[in-house]
Amino acid sequence: MTQSQSQAPSYPPEGFRYAPRSSVYDEAFVPSGEPRAHYAELWHGVEELGPPEISKRWEQGRRLIRENGVTYNVYGDPRGMDRPWVLDPIPLVLAAKEWNDLARGLDQRARLLNALLADLYGPQATLRERLLPPELVVGCPAFLRPLHGIEPPAGVYLHLYAADLARGPDGGFWVLGDRTQAPSGAGYALENRIVVSRLLAQLFRDCKVERLAPFFSALRESLANLAPRGREQPRVVLLTSGAYNETYFEHAYLARYLGYSLIEGADLTVRDQTVYLKTLGGLERVDVILRRMDDGFCDPLSLRSDSSLGIAGLVRAVRRGNVTIANALGSGLVESPALLAFVPALCRRLLDEELELPSVATWWCGEEPALRYVIDHLPELVIKPAFFGPHAPEPVFGGALSVEERAELARRIQARPAAFVGQEQVALSTAPVWAGESVQPRHASLRAFVARAGDGYVALPGGLTRVSSSRNSLVVSMQRGGGSKDTWVLASGLPSSLSLLKPAGGRIEIVRTGADLPSRVADNLFWLGRYAERAEGTARLLRSVIMRLTDDTLGARSPELAVLLHALEVTTEVAAGSLTGPPGSVRLERRLFELLVESDHRTLRATIEATFRAGSMARDRLSADTWRVLTQLHDQVLEFELRQRLELQDGLESLNRLVLGFSAFSGLAMENMTHGPGWRFADIGRRIERAFHGARLVRSTLVAADAPAAFEGILEVADSTITYRSRYRGFVAFEPVLDLVLTDETNPRSIAFQLVAISEHLDALPRSERGVGLPPAARTMLRALTSIRLADFATLGRVSAGGRREKLDELLACLETDLPLFADQLTLSYLAHAEPSVSLGTLEDKGV
Amino acid sequence: MVYRVSHVTSYRYAQAVSICHNEARLTPRTTSHQKLLRTQLLVEPTVATHDRGVDYFGNVVHWFSLQEAHTHLDVTAVSEVDISRFQAPAAALSGPWEHTRDRLREDRSAEALAAYEFVFESPHIRFDADLIAYAQASFPRGRPLLEAVLELTRRIHKEFQYQPGSTTVATPLREVLRARRGVCQDFAHLQIGMLRSLGLSARYVSGYIYNQPKEGARGLTGADASHAWVAVYCPDFGYVDFDPTNGVIPSDEHVTLAWGRDFSDASPLKGVILGGGEHTVSVAVDVARV
Repeated sequence: MTQSQSQAPSYPPEGFRYAPRSSVYDEAFVPSGEPRAHYAELWHGVEELGPPEISKRWEQGRRLIRENGVTYNVYGDPRGMDRPWVLDPIPLVLAAKEWNDLARGLDQRARLLNALLADLYGPQATLRERLLPPELVVGCPAFLRPLHGIEPPAGVYLHLYAADLARGPDGGFWVLGDRTQAPSGAGYALENRIVVSRLLAQLFRDCKVERLAPFFSALRESLANLAPRGREQPRVVLLTSGAYNETYFEHAYLARYLGYSLIEGADLTVRDQTVYLKTLGGLERVDVILRRMDDGFCDPLSLRSDSSLGIAGLVRAVRRGNVTIANALGSGLVESPALLAFVPALCRRLLDEELELPSVATWWCGEEPALRYVIDHLPELVIKPAFFGPHAPEPVFGGALSVEERAELARRIQARPAAFVGQEQVALSTAPVWAGESVQPRHASLRAFVARAGDGYVALPGGLTRVSSSRNSLVVSMQRGGGSKDTWVLASGLPSSLSLLKPAGGRIEIVRTGADLPSRVADNLFWLGRYAERAEGTARLLRSVIMRLTDDTLGARSPELAVLLHALEVTTEVAAGSLTGPPGSVRLERRLFELLVESDHRTLRATIEATFRAGSMARDRLSADTWRVLTQLHDQVLEFELRQRLELQDGLESLNRLVLGFSAFSGLAMENMTHGPGWRFADIGRRIERAFHGARLVRSTLVAADAPAAFEGILEVADSTITYRSRYRGFVAFEPVLDLVLTDETNPRSIAFQLVAISEHLDALPRSERGVGLPPAARTMLRALTSIRLADFATLGRVSAGGRREKLDELLACLETDLPLFADQLTLSYLAHAEPSVSLGTLEDKGV
Repeated sequence: MVYRVSHVTSYRYAQAVSICHNEARLTPRTTSHQKLLRTQLLVEPTVATHDRGVDYFGNVVHWFSLQEAHTHLDVTAVSEVDISRFQAPAAALSGPWEHTRDRLREDRSAEALAAYEFVFESPHIRFDADLIAYAQASFPRGRPLLEAVLELTRRIHKEFQYQPGSTTVATPLREVLRARRGVCQDFAHLQIGMLRSLGLSARYVSGYIYNQPKEGARGLTGADASHAWVAVYCPDFGYVDFDPTNGVIPSDEHVTLAWGRDFSDASPLKGVILGGGEHTVSVAVDVARV
């Protein structure tokens, strides 16, 4: 496409002179430049808005996406975690008639693949009848033999199926690939719709676009009906492979939208061949698992023994019919690219129907004539692996290779023909994409979804449209940096106004207990609380120290500096006395920088990274705002790395921002999290940390009789200077200081305050054990709190012959033992089921 | 010949294990020349659930789990089998090896499809040009299948050193091939990899071997532990066993337990535990004539 600068008519407006390429189909325009009929309304509206307005809304969209935390993880890129999702503001539009044909074709294809799975995991007639080469089954890594002979409820293997579609130059749709085991993208499609329907609210209404919600409620209903025992409120969970999965955002998003718990393998346990969720309140039976984990990883006992993600015994529970998995374990077998070559004949045999939606021409090289064809036509083909799997080769565009590279590729194919397919390189259609200041054609492909409903499948009216990253790129992949579009299917009738957020029919029981919080999530929240408190404390201390070192008016030689440095030693667990030196000491400054930017043990940076990790493991329990603050804090730490040389002053600026970020984080946690068990665990974590460091600091400063010099410093560390001044004016003395930091239950920074708060949390937590008397953790906490309440100031203040306050030392030493003991006991009674499973090696493993 | 086999596996854990799931393939198979007379599986402490069934390859499997805290697990399998002497078919009658290869690709009978399972790569078996190169010396064009396989079996026996502890289950085949040493499992995997990369069907057999107590005589290697060898599909004769560790065609001293594509399908005992900390395992195998 070339744009001539000389022609500049006033209409269409600048930036909208869109010239589709002649060689391919354009979704929006006919070759003469007129918009297609079903695009006319949208395009007219877009033109009316004009480029500056579109540009503004595009920015708005980007902000919404950042704020909603929509991300996509890119593998092999250290900064690829949580990359913002890329969304184009101009939707892809499909006409009603065209969509209905497509939906019928998708329904047929899903029924076909379902029937094929039933045959391959059963009688295998298609192999004996030579409809399918046996290599594609018995030679395929996705054929899971332990699942052979298990028929899922109602014979349904596929509950959710997706197809990657491309439109060829003749305007017809082709299937590029099938997604049968855990199709991703429906959640992103939903998020794209939410953003674009806000950006283009009026146009969205005017165009009468089909709603997406009915599809998800059909999916939800179909999953609820799968419960093996027809329970009234079956428990459906969404199984994720974890925060490092490329589409983790979507797992969390869908779980929330569908109202399912987002769980990991370690949250589940199999007992009596039944699957249970490990919660704070005990074990809860699970009826249906919507999985977003590859099937080979789902059971380390019967499937891949190297899997650390799965649930031991799951296959047995499935065989017993005690749990239903969607899609069924083993469904990955029919997403092999090699299968595409055999689909038409299979359709005739298994469904007795002609295939409606063709696959892109595919040759499986395991057959001699196909191999010859592929070798002879390499420049026109895309070479792909025949099967997905750990050893699958990367797709290669034959046309992009040099003569030598092609010869090399041919040799590799001939060495292992069965491992490759050749696929016709489809000239993907183009669609208009907003490129920042003008509209340009980019290649597009559509991932469309269907869900099981009754005997057939209903389609998601829309889908995830992906576009290539640059004008000339043919690769349409989020991994390779492409973007996405909302997909509008124009309604044939009136669009339904159903939204899942107001579920139709049936009252939902109000639940407030939160006892079904998975233990692992509670554990992560507990650590999130601890790390966040530790990080905030470290940041505050570093700030106070650096402020004194850089500003003479604050009195760099003031006695509290020594206390602050000592407190920093306590918090970061560096050797006592390692942070000393006169102001301006190069050694001291270097040490402080290390505490800020190095990533060892307990530096500020390491602690913030640990906070972020704990947060990302419990991300579905955090509000979008909380997560955003956490991400920003983490980003700031990453910035440290980019600085070659830091000045003390720069450090101060960073610390100011970090302290502010942590204040926001604590505020959000307090205000925005429901005060259920999850919040309680986070808060217990925070208070344990605060009490423990408080006790250590007081012990190492106030036990020595010559303490007065330290009073001011202790008050500052405990953030209690203002309270002290308002109560006692200027005079600083041992007893009032000790009262304020240790025993005053009204001071939110005192140790007693933390213990009172923890005791209250303990009372409110669900209790699984029914024993007589207090549980061990509550007993320990009561002892600690009572020892403070019973303390007598005269005794605590008494100075021994050795110049030490022995009784105070004793009291604090007890606290230093009791608090970690309490944390262990708490873990044992509530979080112990969070331990990971281990595969047993047998002696045979070591070789005989 | 009647044998009594006892196979005891004992786990000891440093800390309590709260739950454990196991899969045992410890019950000998019944074959054309092996009859199972009696068999018993004892698990201590008492199991919470137990299922007996047959897996995809026809092996008898016991699934069991323990759901109470325990610090040890003892699994004892005792069986008696009657094994008749296996008369290997005259190797020269087995037909050119390429015929078997081609027939496997074409034949869609139930028998041939079942044999086709064992022609491909599997979790422990990856093809490699060096594997083919080593095997090809024994497979000139037109050579009778069993003759070629027997020679390959003897070459592995002669050219590889049996050295317990030199490999683990994770050692790749190419490494075994390079170092020329390993244990029965490695030699079985190695020969299977070679045969399959030629397009032949070869399965992994797990079992035991009887070590005749003879004064001063050297018995067969691999006794007093579980053993592994190879079975090759030969269209007119069915499967014929080959033991590359000992360089022989098993006759009546090999007790067949289970088979599959490789170790991962046929390992005698697998388990996953929750908790436990450090653990130790010991195995005692005894094969005696009755």
